[in-house]
Amino acid sequence: MMPESTAVGRLIQCLRKLPGVGPKSAKRMAFHMLERDRDGARQLAQALQQAADCVVHCARCNNFCEDRICGVCQSPRRDHSLLCVVESPADLQSLDEAGVYNGLYFVLMGHLSPLDGIGPEELGIDRLEALLDEGAIKEVILATNLTVEGEATAHYVGELVRARNIRATRIAYGVPVGGELEYIDRNTLTRAFSGRSEV
Amino acid sequence: MRVHGQAAFVLHHRAYGETSVLVELFTREHGRIGAIAKGARRPRARHGNNLIPFQPLIVDWSGKGELVVITEAEAQGQNIALQGKALFCGFYINELMLRLVHRYDPHQSLFDIYGQALYGLLDEHTEAVLRVFEKRLLIELGYGLVLDHEIRGNSPIQPGADYLYIPDAGPVPYENDEDGAVKIKGRSLLALSRETLNDDAVLQESKTLMRAILGRHLGGKPLHSRKLFREVKYNSSTPRH
Repeated sequence: MMPESTAVGRLIQCLRKLPGVGPKSAKRMAFHMLERDRDGARQLAQALQQAADCVVHCARCNNFCEDRICGVCQSPRRDHSLLCVVESPADLQSLDEAGVYNGLYFVLMGHLSPLDGIGPEELGIDRLEALLDEGAIKEVILATNLTVEGEATAHYVGELVRARNIRATRIAYGVPVGGELEYIDRNTLTRAFSGRSEV
Repeated sequence: MRVHGQAAFVLHHRAYGETSVLVELFTREHGRIGAIAKGARRPRARHGNNLIPFQPLIVDWSGKGELVVITEAEAQGQNIALQGKALFCGFYINELMLRLVHRYDPHQSLFDIYGQALYGLLDEHTEAVLRVFEKRLLIELGYGLVLDHEIRGNSPIQPGADYLYIPDAGPVPYENDEDGAVKIKGRSLLALSRETLNDDAVLQESKTLMRAILGRHLGGKPLHSRKLFREVKYNSSTPRH
């Protein structure tokens, strides 16, 4: 192991901060960049510096962006009467890449987890409420995860939405496309049956 | 040490590393234990989907000390599908368990009481289920409440009379308010004792009483899940049950 006092040692230590990177991968990354790709290393350093300095939360949807209001929230091509509530920027990206939705988003940056001390205040739900109070939104789609915490969050937000006489909907759950019933767990099957629809 | 086929519930779960989960289990014969399920968050993890709160489980584990390793976790029947307010109540029950039940302290009858409360939340009056659970939990932990007689003189509680409940002691006839003590009607005490909490006034009084008593055992640190209820009520203008 390189001592942390050397530049290489420090680089390896810093790379280990990345999720999924252990000591071995960190060493491989560091040596690769130093041996074969110094330019790439400089670009990476610059990109990291820039992102760390410039990226903020959008004042409306709470997603990461560089301006006060992000491109999605400003886009005139999007339906400004629809709002989709998601847990993370990664969820937002998945939905947007799927191209199934053309409204606005709100990113909670987590979910309610009372046992970890994460309540409505810590999630910044008051900002979502302010958005709802503007009156332009006609429907809120609750697209939090299908975990117990995600369900609790959806219920909590749903109550706030309904209290303002705005339509609140929850994404459907059940058998995934390409899924075979034989391999699907019992809880998912139960949901799939209770949420069955006319053909 | 290897343990096989232990009935259990997950009280709390937390992601650990890239693919693992740390869980706090409440088991029938070993009480509350901390465990790790390695690789449980991989897409095709064998038992990953089962290790969620409110899912009756049969668990195998090995190891001893602070953190045992889960080797098998099989769902025992369907998960208890709590929704909406009942789900918040489920979190509340789990938080009480985490705060009041110590690790490695077996409580077989509490395991049944816990399961009954969760199933009760599915179709009964949630407030009544919570009060009965709190009462039974205190009994199991050795802090059972005196609800059917006065602590001085032993006379039975009269439904129509007013009492002052002194925490850590019990009810005395009401004369005037005292710091830390709760004024309560005889019929509420008896209803709590017989677990027949079926009118609003009784439910409200029992709630005030249990809150004062639990507050002493929780040592001033508030319950986070309780905050969730308050804010839902406070924030919305529609009536709810």
